[in-house]
Amino acid sequence: MGELLNRDAIINLVIFALLVAVALGAHLAGDGFTVTLATKAAIFGLAGVGLNLALGYGGLISFGHAAFFGIGGYVTGILASHASSGMPVVTLPFTIMGSNEMLGIWPVAMLAGGVAALAIGALSLRTSGVYFIMVTLAFAQMLYYFAISWSRYGGEDGLSFYVRNTFPGLNTFAPIQYFAICAVLLALALVFTAVVTQSRFGLALQAARQNSQRAVAVGIRPYAIRLTAFVLSGMIVGLAGSLYADLNRFVSPAMLSWHMSGEIMVFVILGGVGRLCGPVAGAAIYILLEHVLGGISDYWQALLGLLLLGIVLFAPGGLIGIVTRRGRHA
Amino acid sequence: MPEPKLNEPILEIRGLRKAFGALVATDDVSLDLRPGEIHALIGPNGAGKSTLIKQIVGEIRPNSGSIRFEGQVIDGLDAAARARLGLARSFQVSSVIPDFTVLQNVMLAVAGASGAVFRFHRPALSDRKLTEPALFHIEQAGLADRHLVQAAKLSHGERRKLEIAMALALRPRAFLLDEPMAGMGLEGGRQLTSILSELRNEAPILLVEHDMDAVFALADRISVLVYGRIIATGSVAEIRANPEVRRSYLGEDA
Amino acid sequence: MLLAEQALNGLQYGMMLFLMAAGLTLVFGVMGLINLAHGSLYMTGAFACAAVAAATGSFWLGLVASLAAAAAAGALVEVAVIRRLYARDHLDQVLATFALILIFSEGARWLFGSFPLYLKLPPSLSGAVVLPGGLHYPLFRLVIIGFGAAVAVGLWWLITRTRLGIRIRAGEADREMIGALGVDIARLYTIVFALGAALAGFAGALVGSIQSVQVGMGEPVLILAFVVVVIGGIGSIKGAFVGALLVGMTDTLGKALLPGLLSQVVEASSAKTVGASLASVLIYVLMAVVLIMRPQGLFGARG
Repeated sequence: MGELLNRDAIINLVIFALLVAVALGAHLAGDGFTVTLATKAAIFGLAGVGLNLALGYGGLISFGHAAFFGIGGYVTGILASHASSGMPVVTLPFTIMGSNEMLGIWPVAMLAGGVAALAIGALSLRTSGVYFIMVTLAFAQMLYYFAISWSRYGGEDGLSFYVRNTFPGLNTFAPIQYFAICAVLLALALVFTAVVTQSRFGLALQAARQNSQRAVAVGIRPYAIRLTAFVLSGMIVGLAGSLYADLNRFVSPAMLSWHMSGEIMVFVILGGVGRLCGPVAGAAIYILLEHVLGGISDYWQALLGLLLLGIVLFAPGGLIGIVTRRGRHA
Repeated sequence: MPEPKLNEPILEIRGLRKAFGALVATDDVSLDLRPGEIHALIGPNGAGKSTLIKQIVGEIRPNSGSIRFEGQVIDGLDAAARARLGLARSFQVSSVIPDFTVLQNVMLAVAGASGAVFRFHRPALSDRKLTEPALFHIEQAGLADRHLVQAAKLSHGERRKLEIAMALALRPRAFLLDEPMAGMGLEGGRQLTSILSELRNEAPILLVEHDMDAVFALADRISVLVYGRIIATGSVAEIRANPEVRRSYLGEDA
Repeated sequence: MLLAEQALNGLQYGMMLFLMAAGLTLVFGVMGLINLAHGSLYMTGAFACAAVAAATGSFWLGLVASLAAAAAAGALVEVAVIRRLYARDHLDQVLATFALILIFSEGARWLFGSFPLYLKLPPSLSGAVVLPGGLHYPLFRLVIIGFGAAVAVGLWWLITRTRLGIRIRAGEADREMIGALGVDIARLYTIVFALGAALAGFAGALVGSIQSVQVGMGEPVLILAFVVVVIGGIGSIKGAFVGALLVGMTDTLGKALLPGLLSQVVEASSAKTVGASLASVLIYVLMAVVLIMRPQGLFGARG
């Protein structure tokens, strides 16, 4: 196992280094557009890393992670719009003012994502199998419709904020600087995932996935373990949503849609389930495909569908699985 | 945890009843497991042995009756809580975590027994509070050189031993072993028999087993379960001599 | 009067959801498969109806085409893709059928474009009828309710009274057993899948006739059908029927009544917006309540 772990570690480093190299290279070549694409890949990768904790390590097939992505986005949009209007977000039971400081916004986005994951997870985890998939999908859809009907924050049209939020000492409008912020957060999330999955908790989580009856027989409660993983996962995805909102300076119900949930799942699968950097590779490949295939045909999503179908039917280890010639990871 | 008095039963089952619709799977079953003993539970297929085990470990709830473990009523505890009290179970079909190594499997049991699984930062493999006891129990179960092998790659007999190691890691106060001999070869069975006779020094064993040679060789007492009822409990000799048992169960052998 | 009209709307909505959910729940129950692409079959039926009705001028031919096209698409997809997924885990099923959605949606967009198509009802089905009590109600919505009820009765008859039904029920109980009984499982599965697809396609055509036919119309309905199945219990046609009517009624009546009810408590303008927001999440609250009380669904046997 040790040797394989090393090979995994090398692959992980290579994937992350490639992403950074692309962004730096594009920046030096004066290609801001590609830097923004790399930023998008980092953010989607972060969302995938979050989902991977629940899906890959915990075996929790959530088709509702757009909920946390969208909540992170809306928290960011709402705080930013109140910061620019100067109106408080709420006045009861105490006054909360808007904010355009990323360092202030991120914790709120993560907290909101975590609280939503706690509520959705507590209910959804009472079920398993196909029920779990449907229930997570349905609760995300509930938030989607709620956002559409919530006219105060744009309803169906979404909510624009014209100035990207700020980070002390950096110019967040410079593409490469915003990329750096996203890449550092992605790296932190990767380290966090690596540490957590190696810990006692990670042991219990992976045991509950593979053989939940056995986990119970050694005194572990799978429900509590899974719910914790689901909440951590929701927090990371909430952070990714916040970054995505800032990238576009716009949030809309589309961030909460089932299609978004499917995409986050695709990031994880394209790279390889349960691999640390799989979602990063997956997100980067997705963006690349969107860009390349999208240039060939307006109907690029059909090609993506065919590719995805091929991977599911013939290469269940994902694209990294093809490289390492191994099946689905532990 | 109150320390039980000498010879007071570790596990006390009183009047357990479980019905699935019209089928009464467990019918007023009472059973004791005393310190130091191997108590075998035998009976034909469909007698309700698995249902009884599941009620003892807390996987299903009985309709009535009560279970005391070391003097404490455990009827309200879930399966995980009972395991943490030291009620160690092995499964009819080998049940381990396939992708984990032997060491990780046993570490999982150590962590589960400690009740402290919500630790997020320290790598489990460098946590000596986990690895040291785990390695000790792996050796106890006779798997010393195999601790870095993935559980899925173990032989059937080795997987049985891994289960024993995991049971030991719970610092058990009682073992519930569900057909540990099933599918073992002659040699493996002999090895396991000697391991079981050592296990009783750790804690008493409630042994569900089909292999009559093993039961007669190991058990101090035997209970016979037929159609959900205990029709007899006694020493090996008493059970062998019991006419009802001979008729309804051992009939084909006697 | 308003209440009666909304109740009928809810009934009609529920019947549509039942047509969707019946196929889903059958496929879950018999094959153990989660099919996200069920909404694509719904869309296929709607487009087939629109295309054939436009080409021939006959709405009825369009309806027949919706059944035929969706069944054919279902059978094709089952043979080409779905049957490779029965033995796979749910994650693979989700991903492969998600991929199918992408292919279906883009295919439909390529064939028919992004703009919605509208179906024209024949004179015999359009207009309103006067119901007892003097309520004017669109005839076609009543027809939909009738179709839904007919399908419910037909399915009940199929499952309980026919050889195919016996095999389907046997397949739910024990997959190996029906193989041992000499039933050609592969064919049975294709038939069940095509049947579910045909019902979805039919629903798509009917709903397309009152609303519009467009790419992406299937997925919101699909997710509602999931809610129905979760409430009713997997594999239960009866559960799908009860769940569908519950969801249809709750959603319709909630949207109609909640803003009014709230306006008695808070001032009118905020009652309207808060009421609309609350009504939009009402069915999910219903689902949450069912999950708390009975996680296996109202009529579900398995947990």
